[in-house]
Formats: sequence, structure tokens, C-alpha cells
Amino acid sequence: MLNYLLRRILLMIPTLLGITIVVFTVMAAAPGGISAQSLVDGMELEPQSRQALEDYYNKLYGLDQPAPVQYVRWLNNISPIGFERLADGSFGAFSLWKGPDLGTSFRYGRPVTDMIAERLPITLLLNLISIPLIYALAIGIGVQAARQRGGRFDVTSNIFLLGLWSVPSMLAGVLFIGFFASEQYWRWFPTGGLMRRETADQTFLPLFSSFGDVFITVLCVALITVALISAAVSFSLKTRQFAGLIVGALLGYAMAVNLHGEWFGLLHLLLIPSMAMLFRLLAGLNNIALRIVVTGTFAIGLGLAISRLLGVEILQGGYLLDRLWHLVLPVIALSYGGLAFLAKLTRSSLLENLAADYARTARAKGVDEEAVLWRHVFRNSLLPLITVSATLLPSLLAGSVIVESIFSIDGMGKLAVEAVQTRDRELVLSVTLISGLLTLVGYLLADIAYAIVDPRVSYD
Amino acid sequence: MTEQVVDIPVKQPSKSWTQQVVSSLLKRTSAKIGLAWIGLLVLIATFSPFLASSHPLYMVVDGQASSPLLQHMEPLDWVWLSGFFITLVISALSIVAWKKILLWAASIAVVSFIAYSSVTPPVLVVYEHYREMEAAGKVDNIIRAPIPYSAKDYLRDYADTGIESPLSVKERTHWMGTDENGADVASRMIHASRIALGIGFIATGIALVIGTIIGGLMGYFSGIVDIIGMRLVEIFEAIPTLFLLLSFVAFFGRSIYMMMVIIGITAWSGYARYVRAEFLKLRQQDFVQAAIASGLPLRSILFRHMLPNGLAPLLVATSFGVASAILAEATLSFLGLGLVDDPSWGQLLNQAVQSSTFNWWLAVFPGGAIFMTVFAYNLLGESLRDAVDPHTNRGMQS
Repeated sequence: MLNYLLRRILLMIPTLLGITIVVFTVMAAAPGGISAQSLVDGMELEPQSRQALEDYYNKLYGLDQPAPVQYVRWLNNISPIGFERLADGSFGAFSLWKGPDLGTSFRYGRPVTDMIAERLPITLLLNLISIPLIYALAIGIGVQAARQRGGRFDVTSNIFLLGLWSVPSMLAGVLFIGFFASEQYWRWFPTGGLMRRETADQTFLPLFSSFGDVFITVLCVALITVALISAAVSFSLKTRQFAGLIVGALLGYAMAVNLHGEWFGLLHLLLIPSMAMLFRLLAGLNNIALRIVVTGTFAIGLGLAISRLLGVEILQGGYLLDRLWHLVLPVIALSYGGLAFLAKLTRSSLLENLAADYARTARAKGVDEEAVLWRHVFRNSLLPLITVSATLLPSLLAGSVIVESIFSIDGMGKLAVEAVQTRDRELVLSVTLISGLLTLVGYLLADIAYAIVDPRVSYD
Repeated sequence: MTEQVVDIPVKQPSKSWTQQVVSSLLKRTSAKIGLAWIGLLVLIATFSPFLASSHPLYMVVDGQASSPLLQHMEPLDWVWLSGFFITLVISALSIVAWKKILLWAASIAVVSFIAYSSVTPPVLVVYEHYREMEAAGKVDNIIRAPIPYSAKDYLRDYADTGIESPLSVKERTHWMGTDENGADVASRMIHASRIALGIGFIATGIALVIGTIIGGLMGYFSGIVDIIGMRLVEIFEAIPTLFLLLSFVAFFGRSIYMMMVIIGITAWSGYARYVRAEFLKLRQQDFVQAAIASGLPLRSILFRHMLPNGLAPLLVATSFGVASAILAEATLSFLGLGLVDDPSWGQLLNQAVQSSTFNWWLAVFPGGAIFMTVFAYNLLGESLRDAVDPHTNRGMQS
């Protein structure tokens, strides 16, 4: 295993070098070098000092030298091991721990390493929330579709997932903001950012005025959740669908009244049936796990709303709630595309394995269909999902560029767009490099997971 | 008795594989929907100057008849128009596929040369001119396009034009409202369909050519060429495409052709993988060995003997690839890194949420157009995959 790991890591080095070459070539092939326009306050300097500054940068980056030399210099700067760079651009002694130097942002005048260290955790937070969510839901939907192959759920979910996969995340983000965060429609969520300014000096957990209020809230949420989940588990399909229909209609009515305040209008006619149909569909889900997740989420929301109606006052929302509240829309916008893709993959992988010889053998020796699915087929169907997790990370990173700029979250993606808009050379290169590096790490993790899960992969 | 015999579907051995795939493709509803939308888009893109333009189609001023629209047609408009009819004519001809492609490319080149060397529309375009003439009563007879506004007609002759919701302005009809510069959204969307289609086809074409050549060489030679090629593929796959696109856009200018090339350059790795996998399978087969033994040149072995046999997975990947190329352009435009003045769906979508007001018509119409186009290509790709995959066909019969 250790051997395999080492070999795998060593194989990353040429790829990493290749990435640096591609990134550098893009930059080197670009017309125009460093000019006063691209520097902080460059245009306001006097001609002499501007010239001096340009000369300094030319010398620092070795722009007066041929491209291969520039590349080696740049490589030396960004690698954690290498020659130390002195202030005048020449090189000092060889050092094993000089640390990577990604340069200084022209626009912000700050070291790029610092800026990325600030922004990267936010993007990683978004992605690390999205990935488990994507996997859990995708496996649920995929298993359900594969079980009823050719059935109604399978056919509708197939078209629906392909549609979902085709929805551009900028459209989803814009619609989310437009309908659920803007003042014209329902203002349920914040429009952007990751936290409100007031929250910075608040407690971590919500703060209630008295212990009784906490008790009421917890009781409400717990009672409603237990009641709804037990209803979702035990009731028959017909009853559930009817209940879903009623709940959806009521919710649609509440939404319409919330928006217009009138008693009846076109909006009511549109919203009530569509919400009713949506909830009927959700309540009619055949997969117990999916149903519990959906009803659980709904019940927690309902419990909180009812405890509010009972007169519970929350003095401070607290850091945790606020952060979660801000994350809802971006995470949905980031994850639905991958969800659709993975659910389709799960379905096809399960179908392939359900038709395999070993599944037939299991059935022939009398194992019941549930056990064939979960104990034999399901485990084997996970392999493609692990392989694909490597490609999921780059697409999520790219998705976070769009989502972060729509929701104005200060992560890597937004940094990349800002850097491109201001043609900030060092920043663009570093962001591209870091995203390539992250992707490589993703590949490595996927390979290791694959080697652990699949005993057929040999370690030597 | 005889009727029963006729009713049984007989697999005709004379039907070629391509015809089988096409007929099985056309049986699928999803493929029909996809093709219908793409066809509609092609029609709109081809005839966009006639659908939405401030220049009247036909105008009589002081007894003099003229057609300002035809006078203001750009060379590109002529190329699209004639390209459309050339494609129709060539697809009706019964000749070998590669000859068709060659003939098509040659005629497009000739037409473009003629158009760009002979057509010179007026440099200064004044859109307000016709409306002013009409208001002054100088015009005897006028026939306008269905949407009488050009994509770049910012309606400067009307006072304080800006963002307006659909049909909210009394004196003009904007079916889909106007954007922040006061231009008609419907018109901009019609003209933007060209950019979406053009980017989709040309960027994917570039990626396809690069991917096929590199992947083909990798699969054919295997060994050291394969190892080096695969590293190259891995490198391009490891950098998230959008980040690579962003850094290209940062350092190079913003023109539509540049964007096509850039999207093409960043998208080839998937095709190379597919072609390589197919060629690795094919190179051991007898017909390839026979071609090598008869001393054919490499070019002929690769592209005339091997490629047509490995086309199926490539075709599927191409359909999905066009969708992602269109999406890439829309994303760049949405982020404000696309074309500056030319219409684009992504750029319209970008204006939907600005300074805390939500202009729904700028989200729903352009966003819907992007979604429908991407969805159409994905539907097409998916049905194509089912059509070329013998596995699913068998599964459907059993």
C-alpha cells in the first residue's frame, strides 16, 4: 500500500510540472508585459518613478530574459524548495525550506499567498458541504430509479435529471436570488455574502430570552419531526399523497398571500396547484430514506415556525444559524448539477450490476431481492462513483466561480474573476495553479479510496 | 397470409450501420425534441437580420423604392444565408460523406471570400433615421421586420430609455422588454443565437480535430507516444476548464474568434481519450493490419480506415461537447468576460440581478434559451448514446 501511494505521488510530479508549463505558456504567449496600468496606483506616479517601477518588475520577473529562463525562475519562485530570491531579483543560496512565493498581487499590493490562504477555506467549505449532500441524494435517487427500471419514477426522474443537469448554474443562482432573496418577491434568504455584519460579535448558538423558550422550541421541533417522520414511514401511499396535496396547497396559498396580500389572484391560481403537486410528488416518494430526509427538513422548518408563532423570541440568531442561512442557496446552486449527473451514474451502474452473473447466482441460491441489491450489487456499484469523485472536484471548483460571483461570497472563484477582470498576472496564475493542484489531490484521494475499496487493484 | 409476412419487421442487411443508427435515433422522442429545437435555432440564426432589424425590409421614400435592410447586410449575414442553402443542397446530394464535408468546406470558403471582398455595408449606421423619417411623414410605404429593432439599436431617439419590463412602454412594443442600454431583448436574443450556435460548432470542431489527431496517434502507436500523450491529457484535465478559460481570457483579447479557439483548446482532452480507447481496440484488427501491410500512408490508415470505425463514441461525446461549449461561452459572458458590445445570452442574464432589483425578463428569456439549447444537445447526446450502444438495444428488446 505504501509502495502504491509513493508511486502514485511520484507520478503526480510530471503532471504538476506540466500544469505549470501550460499555465506559464498562456501567460508568456500573451501580448504585453507588465505596464504601469496594471500596477497599483501605477498611473498616478511620475514618469521617472513609473519607469523605475517597471524596470524593477522587469528585473524581478526576469522579463528581459528568454522565455525558458523566465519559466525556470518562476518555477523556482513557486516551489517550496529552491534558491532564495533576494530583493534585487538575483538568487541567493539554495534552501530546503524557503517556502513557495507566489508573488505579489499588482492590483492589491499584497502577497498572493496570503490572499489565497484567506479565500481558499471558504471555497473548500462550500465544496465540502456540497459533496456529501450530492452523494447522499444521488445514491437515494439512483437506487430508486434502478429498482423500478422502466417504471414511472425511473422514466420521469431520468428526464427530470437530464433537465436539471442542463440548467446552467448561473440561471439557477440568478433565479434563486431573484425570487427567494430580492425584495420584490419572497425575502426568505440573504442576497449574498456568508454572514451579516452584526453576527461577528454574537454568540455561536442562538440566544433565547429564557430557558422556557428554549424548551418550547426544542419541544415543538422534536414533536413535529417525530410525528411527521412516523407519518411518512407508516402511512399508505394514498394517505401520504393526499396529505402532501393539502400541505402543498396551504403553503402555496401562504406564499401567494405573503407576496400580494390579496385574497385571490392569478398568482394564487398558479402557486397553489403547483406547490400542491410538488408536495404530492415528494410525499409519494417510494424510497423511505429520501422520504425521511425530505419530511425531516420540512418538519424542522415547520417546528421553528410554530415555536415563533407561540411567542418564542430569539434575542440573537447566533453565528451558526446565520452562516447556515447564508449557505442554503449557494449550496443548492452548487450541488444540483453534480447531483443530477451522479444520480444518473448510480442508476446505470446499478442496472449493469443487477444484470451481472454474480447477482443472478445470488438470486438463484435464494437470496431475496433486497439483500441482492444492498449486500451484493450496491457495494460493487459504488466503484464508478468513487472514480467519478475525482472529476467532481474540478467541476465543483468551476461551479464555485459562478456561484461565488452571483452570491458575492469572497472565495477563490470570486478572486479568480476579479483577478481576470483586472488582469492581475500573479493572481490569475496562482489561482489556476492552486486549482490544478487541488484537482490533482482530488485524483490522488479518489485513487487511494479506490485501492482501499476494490481488492482487485494491486498495490505493486 | 401475405400481409402477416409483411408485418414482421425484417432486419435488412442492406441497411448500413449509419442508417440504422439514424433511424433508431429518429424513433426516440427525446432526440426529436432536441433536433427540433436545434433546427429552430438554426433557422432563427440564419434569418436573424430579417427577423429583427431596425432597417426596413422595403421602403418607398419620395417615390423611390429601396431596401435598407439588404444594403446594411454584413458579409457574415450573407455567409450564414448562403451557408444555410449550401448545406441544404449538399445534404440532398448522394455522394460519400467525406466528399460532402470537403465540398461543404470548400463552398463555404469560396462564399466567405466573395462576401468579404464584395459586400461593403455602410460604416456609419444610423438606426433612428427611419423612425424620424416616418414621423416626419416622408415615407410613402414601409415594410418592417417582425421585430423592428436591431440588436445594437439603443433607441437613442427616445428620451431616457433603459431597463423596461415587457410591453410596459406605451409607444413601442418590446415583447421581451429592454436591457439596461435600452436595446430590445427579443432582438438581442435572436442575434445572440448565432453566437451560441457558432461557438458550439466551431469550438467543438477545433477540440474534435485536436483530440482526434492526438488521441488517434496515441491509440495507434501506443507505447511511449501513448504515455506522453496521456500525461498531456491528464494535465489538461487537471486544470479546471473554467480556470484555464479565465486565464486565457485574462491575457488575450475578447473577440468571438478568440473565444472559439480558446474553448476549443481547453476542451480537446475528452475526445482524445475516447479516440485513443477506440484506436487501441481497432489497431489489432485484421483490416487495420491489412491496411498497414499494403503500405498505405499513416494518414490514410488513421483517418480513412480506423476513424470511421471508431466514430460512434466520438459522436456521442461531440453532442455533449457542443452543449458544454455553449455553456462555457454563456458563463464567460455572464461573468462579464465575454464580448463587449455584441449580444450574448449570458451577458443578458448577467443584467437580471443588478443593484438589488430583479428583472425577471432578463433571467427567464435568455436563461431559458441557454437551458433549452444545452438541454437539446444533451437530449440528442443521450439518445445517440442509446442508439449506438448495442447493449441498451438488447436490453430494450428483452
